[in-house]
Amino acid sequence: MTITQPLALSLREVRKQYGDHLALDGVSVDVPQGSVFGLLGPNGAGKTTLIRMVAGITAPDSGEISFFGSPLEQSHIQNIGYLPEERGLYKNMRVGEQALYFACLRGMGRSEAEFELKDWFERLDVDGWWNKEVADLSKGMAQKIQFIVSILHKPKFLILDEPLSGFDPINAQRIKAEIKRLRDENGTTVLLSTHDMSSVDELCDNVALVNQGSKILEGRVDLLRENARAGRVDFKFKGNLIAFTAALGASAILYSVHSSENHVHDMVLGIPPDTPIEKFLKWATKEVDVLSCSPKTISMDEVFLRAVKKAES
Amino acid sequence: MRNWLVILGREYKTRVRRRAFIISTLLGPIIMVGFVALIVLFSQSQETNSKILVVDSSEILSFSINEKGQIPSCFECFPERDFLEYRFTTEPISEEEFLESDFTGMLEFDDGILQNSKALLQYETTPSMRVKSAIKRDLTEAVERLRVRMESDLDYETYKRLKVKIGLVTQDVETRDRNAENKSLVGWIFSMFMFMFIMIYGMHVMRGVIEEKSNRIVEVVVSIVKPEALMGAKVAGIGLVGITQILAWAVLSWLLFIGFGTYAESSGMLADIMIESGNTVSSTDLNTFMSSHEDLSFLMQINWLAMLGWGVFFYLGGFALYGSFFAAVGASVEQESDAQYLLLPVMLPLIFSYILNIQILEAPETTLATICSFVPFTSPITMMVRLSMGVPWYEVLISAVILVFTVYLMIKLAGRIYRTGIFMYGKKPSLLEMLKWLTYRNR
Repeated sequence: MTITQPLALSLREVRKQYGDHLALDGVSVDVPQGSVFGLLGPNGAGKTTLIRMVAGITAPDSGEISFFGSPLEQSHIQNIGYLPEERGLYKNMRVGEQALYFACLRGMGRSEAEFELKDWFERLDVDGWWNKEVADLSKGMAQKIQFIVSILHKPKFLILDEPLSGFDPINAQRIKAEIKRLRDENGTTVLLSTHDMSSVDELCDNVALVNQGSKILEGRVDLLRENARAGRVDFKFKGNLIAFTAALGASAILYSVHSSENHVHDMVLGIPPDTPIEKFLKWATKEVDVLSCSPKTISMDEVFLRAVKKAES
Repeated sequence: MRNWLVILGREYKTRVRRRAFIISTLLGPIIMVGFVALIVLFSQSQETNSKILVVDSSEILSFSINEKGQIPSCFECFPERDFLEYRFTTEPISEEEFLESDFTGMLEFDDGILQNSKALLQYETTPSMRVKSAIKRDLTEAVERLRVRMESDLDYETYKRLKVKIGLVTQDVETRDRNAENKSLVGWIFSMFMFMFIMIYGMHVMRGVIEEKSNRIVEVVVSIVKPEALMGAKVAGIGLVGITQILAWAVLSWLLFIGFGTYAESSGMLADIMIESGNTVSSTDLNTFMSSHEDLSFLMQINWLAMLGWGVFFYLGGFALYGSFFAAVGASVEQESDAQYLLLPVMLPLIFSYILNIQILEAPETTLATICSFVPFTSPITMMVRLSMGVPWYEVLISAVILVFTVYLMIKLAGRIYRTGIFMYGKKPSLLEMLKWLTYRNR
């Protein structure tokens, strides 16, 4: 039985062509409400095109986009926050005034926006910068302002395109924490496009992988990892390698082995899906002195590379 | 609509607050008036020591001798002025003697002047207009006095009372407008400002669009409002900056004019000028001065309010038309230097109307002028000249309607180029490509 989570965003067979270039070729994606959804893919895969469609900047040539159950339209814009990858600020305006401008564009009243901004400025340590010229801001500082501007109006749906680029590790961690807080406390759905796989591991509940205009992978991060693991376990024991390998027979596949002194061996083994790991362990302890046995950890980086390689072959 | 106003407000506020704008708005009229004043002052300071030797070798003027030497019997006709003084002699002097003397000019007063009313003024330094007209007036009066005495029994005052001077006022039968040819100069000045403001603020639009594009702010803004709306609000906002400056200049110029007038009235400067120009009007206030002065009276007949009202309308129309073009060009490039060749098709009609205006000033009622005052690309500039001279109201209205309609169409077309252009990075488009963008579907 599968529990269907309500969707914040759903793309059905979306297609977009620019001249001779097919940017998106019938892509379907479902983003569950209240989740962080990672949109992954190599450069030029079509991520920006997809994001621009959701942000209302371009429209698909064909296909459907629904937003919280109804077809995406101009009026939904107020519920969307958008931080594009290529972003900037007006140089001839002061920081606070500029943040207010964007807040007003997002439909906020002046006093409400001012109140919220003060709060966010304090939270992200930019409160002394209200009356400074934008030209005086460092890159990281400007990034913070842009981040604030995109979330200030408390959107139900937040699009973040490479939100961490330009941040030092400390501030990147801070932004990640804010993204999690938005999801957990406000129930904000986040569409996160990034190349930074560590942040995908840390933040995303679901991902979709796009390559050359097509979706090649989609699903929950834990399930994708589990799939990519394909039953592999890290197995460490002390004993006779040859005797153990012979005893393994068909009950497990040996992927790799690394032997060290005192007959200690590190192995990566593939256990068939129908064999529970406990059963295998029970058998193995009879044969050798088991030091450790755990499911192999697969990073999203690996999932990503493997999927792209598979798609290209 | 709300967002449209938010964007318009930003475009307007950020520009109006700039120091350069405030300074040029406040100082513009002062600099212009100051410039004119400087020229006047400069030319006056040069006139201070004009000294003319009147050579009356035929002894036409009868003289008496006093401490200054020979003075003419009718000394009223050669009055002393601070910028011009006369000395008289019956003995002709040679050119060498003249050049060595401190005289700036030498005037021959002989029979010729009585017969064909022409006198020869030889000079060492070119006499100014003011000196020349003063000499002309003085000579005229002297000759008149001589003739009246020789050929009639009247005294000169009676003659002066009898003499008439007819001023020719021209009037258009249809529009009932008077002295239209002088008024066209005012229209021409209006249209020059129109040209100037469309160019200056059109470039502002282009620069603003390029800034948004190269800074990538546009991506966020168009995710909230449609690109066409962003473009429209930008053009409107910057257009209003232009209007602000125009109105500020108009008010400041008017205040300066009134201020100057009051000063001239109270200091007796007007009275001096009026007496000098031979005008004998009892009242010496600015209005009387303006309307009695032949070269200035047309200024009082111009409907300034209508000129300003229509001026603002045609400026807004013209600016919307050209401004959206400038925006489309700005959206197609990433830096200003790349815009040069794309600007040519935008500039051509503007420059054409500018050149055409000089022609219209000379011959205001040609067919070309009439046609161009209807063609929306030239009408904002051309119509101003025609307006100052008086145009049937329905012609202005038709021209206005055509303009509004074309503006609507052009904003649509430019909007299409704009919305495609702002997302094109990396290559300079050709004009042909830009035309292709007109057919693209983006949203």
